[in-house]
Amino acid sequence: MKKYMGNKLAVFLFVLPALAIFIIFDFIPILQVFAYSFTDWNGLTIPNFTGLKNYIELFSDRVFYTSNRNQIIFAVVITIYQMLFATIFAITISDKKMKGRKFLRVAYFIPVILSVTVVCQLWSAILSGEGLLNKLFEAGGLDFSQNWLGDRYKAIYVIAFVNAWQWMGYQFALIVAGIKSIPSDYYEAARIDGCSNVKAHLKITIPLLAETYKFCLIISLTGGIKAFTEMNILTGGGPNKSTFTLTYMMYNAAFKKSDYGYGLAAASIMVIECMLVMLVINFIFREKNQLKEEEKSRRKRNA
Amino acid sequence: MKKKILSTLVCLTVATASIVGCGSTAAGTETAADADAQTTEKAVEAKTSSEEVKEETKQETSSDDKITLSIYTQYADDDTKVPYDYAVEQLAEAYPNVELNLIVQAQDDGQTLKTLAATGQLPDIYQASTDLINTFRESNQIMVLNDVAEKTGFIDKLYDANKDLAYAEDGNIYAFPFSGQEYVLWYYNKALFEENNLEVPKTYEDLLNCVETFTQSGIIPLALFGQEGWNTAAAYDVIATRYVAGGIKALDEGSASITDDGYVSAAKKLEELVAAGLFQKDATTTNYDQASEKFLSGEAAMFINGQWYIEDATKALGDDVDWMFYPAEDEAAYEAGKAVFSGGGSASGFAVNPDSENAELAAEVAEFITEKYCEAKVMYRHNPLVAIDTGKEPDSEYPAMMQKLSDTLPSITSTTKFTWGLTNSTFNDGIQSESQGLVSGQFTADEFIQDLEDIME
Amino acid sequence: MHNEGKKTALHYIFVAFCWIYAAFSLYPLIWMLFYSFKTNQEIFVTNPFGFPWPLHYENYITAWTKYDVPLYFLNSLLVSVGTVVITIICALLFSYATSRMVWKLKTFTRLFLGLGMFIPVQAIMIPVVKVVQRFGLMGTRWSLIFPYIAINLAFACMVYYGFFKGIPMELEEAACMDGANIYQTFFLIIEPLVRPATVTLVIYIFLNAWNEFILANVVVGSIPSLKTLPLGVLFFQGEFTTDWGGMGATMVIASFPAIIVYSIFSEQVESAMTIGGAVKG
Repeated sequence: MKKYMGNKLAVFLFVLPALAIFIIFDFIPILQVFAYSFTDWNGLTIPNFTGLKNYIELFSDRVFYTSNRNQIIFAVVITIYQMLFATIFAITISDKKMKGRKFLRVAYFIPVILSVTVVCQLWSAILSGEGLLNKLFEAGGLDFSQNWLGDRYKAIYVIAFVNAWQWMGYQFALIVAGIKSIPSDYYEAARIDGCSNVKAHLKITIPLLAETYKFCLIISLTGGIKAFTEMNILTGGGPNKSTFTLTYMMYNAAFKKSDYGYGLAAASIMVIECMLVMLVINFIFREKNQLKEEEKSRRKRNA
Repeated sequence: MKKKILSTLVCLTVATASIVGCGSTAAGTETAADADAQTTEKAVEAKTSSEEVKEETKQETSSDDKITLSIYTQYADDDTKVPYDYAVEQLAEAYPNVELNLIVQAQDDGQTLKTLAATGQLPDIYQASTDLINTFRESNQIMVLNDVAEKTGFIDKLYDANKDLAYAEDGNIYAFPFSGQEYVLWYYNKALFEENNLEVPKTYEDLLNCVETFTQSGIIPLALFGQEGWNTAAAYDVIATRYVAGGIKALDEGSASITDDGYVSAAKKLEELVAAGLFQKDATTTNYDQASEKFLSGEAAMFINGQWYIEDATKALGDDVDWMFYPAEDEAAYEAGKAVFSGGGSASGFAVNPDSENAELAAEVAEFITEKYCEAKVMYRHNPLVAIDTGKEPDSEYPAMMQKLSDTLPSITSTTKFTWGLTNSTFNDGIQSESQGLVSGQFTADEFIQDLEDIME
Repeated sequence: MHNEGKKTALHYIFVAFCWIYAAFSLYPLIWMLFYSFKTNQEIFVTNPFGFPWPLHYENYITAWTKYDVPLYFLNSLLVSVGTVVITIICALLFSYATSRMVWKLKTFTRLFLGLGMFIPVQAIMIPVVKVVQRFGLMGTRWSLIFPYIAINLAFACMVYYGFFKGIPMELEEAACMDGANIYQTFFLIIEPLVRPATVTLVIYIFLNAWNEFILANVVVGSIPSLKTLPLGVLFFQGEFTTDWGGMGATMVIASFPAIIVYSIFSEQVESAMTIGGAVKG
């Protein structure tokens, strides 16, 4: 069996196409990004090596800290929101007794299909100073209306919400696909054991979807760290760069200031942060995986 | 199923081959198209269409009589479409063998053009801003047009006031400018002022008074599109120029410091006006279209924008709209300030790619198009503030606001810059975001001064 | 699976919540449709949320006449389909090898490819275009397809890896006993089991390729015969102003294929074979 699954030629043939395309069109460019981050390149001239200058400047830049703070907030908000709602809705529509589940399944995914520009336009109409939300508060006599997108400290939460709201559908679709691949006899076994519905899901669905949750977690956390488009459309990074992220810093430095090297230093730090997050998540889930394997074999024996 | 495995294996080998680079591109595209064998029809489509592309390129190169020049410029609203269409029409007569391939410019801070330049795909003719001219100059990706400008008589056609717009910092001509001197105008809705029994403000005290009255009657005093840094920078500049004539231009050149009294006073004044509610609450997340619609629909009483807005404002508001001289600390300063405007010309316009196959021709065409742009702007956009003397007359009378501006022009002694005319990109980035902070009301004037001082070091 | 007869008030509140949330998710679609029939003034001041009246259908005429919609549409379709097909094949094979086969360096290789998820496209744009040029792909649709594959691979591989991990090893053991070779095992037995993932990824990758703007603008922006649909919005962005109604019309045109793709493929998730079924059989 080991020899069967260790077929060298098969491994080579299976891995090669993906690896080749990745190395040529993604990895080599990434290497160049790292290399150029140590230079004064402006995108056009021949770069001069400047050592750690860009990084030293970056670490003393006020905006660098704002950006990191924003990324953490962004990542946490979208992760919690998306995981929570995606799980709830996925379980709900996987229940064959739920009426209109096919319709709901399409509905939850609709925001993903729409262009970011459209979604941001809609939310900016809702959230602007005289937008729908503030008007509703005023009509209801509540003293809740505020400058949702223009606040130096709070705007980032609002932008994170818009992003979480739009992309929840992805996580939802992935979890639905995950639930679909769980053998249904597990649930039958649970029902015989007298588990309630909620309990059955807590005990079976969520643990068995550990791998699905792992990549959902990686997607939303790194998605938060990489965030750019929503800020660009909703706030333009403002006021005074208080909704910047490292990607925004990169964009601003490279294209507004023609300081590519500095921008790429910011991008490099961001890639390293994402890598760390991925490794940490992999590490945390490693033990859980083993537990899951054990659980599976135990259930198998019981069945 | 065996077939499927086989086809996948074929695909693998093909992919390998095309990646390793065996065979020409053409072979690569064709065989790789075979990889989609499972979706046969689509592959066929792809194949035929990629062949079509090849044929097209062949035709382009084989025909000698037609030369296609690519041009990168804006083409969306009347202000950009009308001049372009007119120029193309005229070009067909003057240069029947030249065809233009229009590449529409994106609102992306020059990201596309810089990437095209970095990868050697610069179009033959492109619209270059001051920043781009300075960047491309270093890497020789922008043609020196001194001789062409001389030969075609472009230099002689330039208005005296605009001569300096043609020359970059090093004294060479890199782009043919079509815009002349431009000005930041402080527009106001006359009808709204009359309805509320308000006089046009001359001093900040008057202005604060107006702000109070408008706010009480539910009208936004001044709609700013603060999501765009240039508009907040202009808002600071119209105040700064009341104290120091150089405004942000002097800061950009380094001939003044942000810690000078005038600049500090201006920052404090802006802070005070923001606190009083001069701008709408969400000014920093408002884009141009939102703010403009507020002003044009009578929801906002004032608006700060360039003189190019005269045409649109007149169209929407007719006689109800006018522009005022910027208010100042007191009447004396107000009167003195009438000669100082924010805004100004910038060294920008149509530039040519020196590596173009038809660089010489492209340079001539660029000059020709520039002239035609100016003509179209005068004739159809009623904007006499173009770079060169076109000798053309507008197809109808100038709007009243433009007439007023023309009458004021001779007495203007000093202008500053729009942010796109600034030469120090670090300062440019700084003033845009810092002034935005000030406008948001969440950053103090002291922070503003302090941060800009740090940035300029 | 609900415990019958015990439907509490809580249950009904929950169902109501699900439907309200769905309404909020559907609203932007309707809003976009309304929006595409409005002028800037209606969008920003007079009527941001309501039904557009009078209908400014000229937005669609503008969109249709400003650029060659059918051609851009075809280009988008070819590029997206090409990207989806090749990415899915590569990712399936790669993830199978890294999740279930036995060889040295497999974890490293897997994490190495994961790197691709983290870099924003703006950062690698210049190097990527240079690579595309070096391979002589400029002026063909492959100039977009290959970079798109590279960008989507990491994500697709990660999702597949998770799904492959969930399949019991016994399946291959049984296949091996029956004398199937590794290729047959993969294509006949394992691949059908990850169909739900494949279908989800098809949707995901298709949308990514369909909506991509930045790279497309740089790579094919100057070649009229290769332009894709997202580039159409450029015809509505002036130096300062944007014709939002016209942009809305472009976006409505661009969104319909995406919605159709989702409707078709999400049905497939439903009908896909489950692991449970396979193990039993």
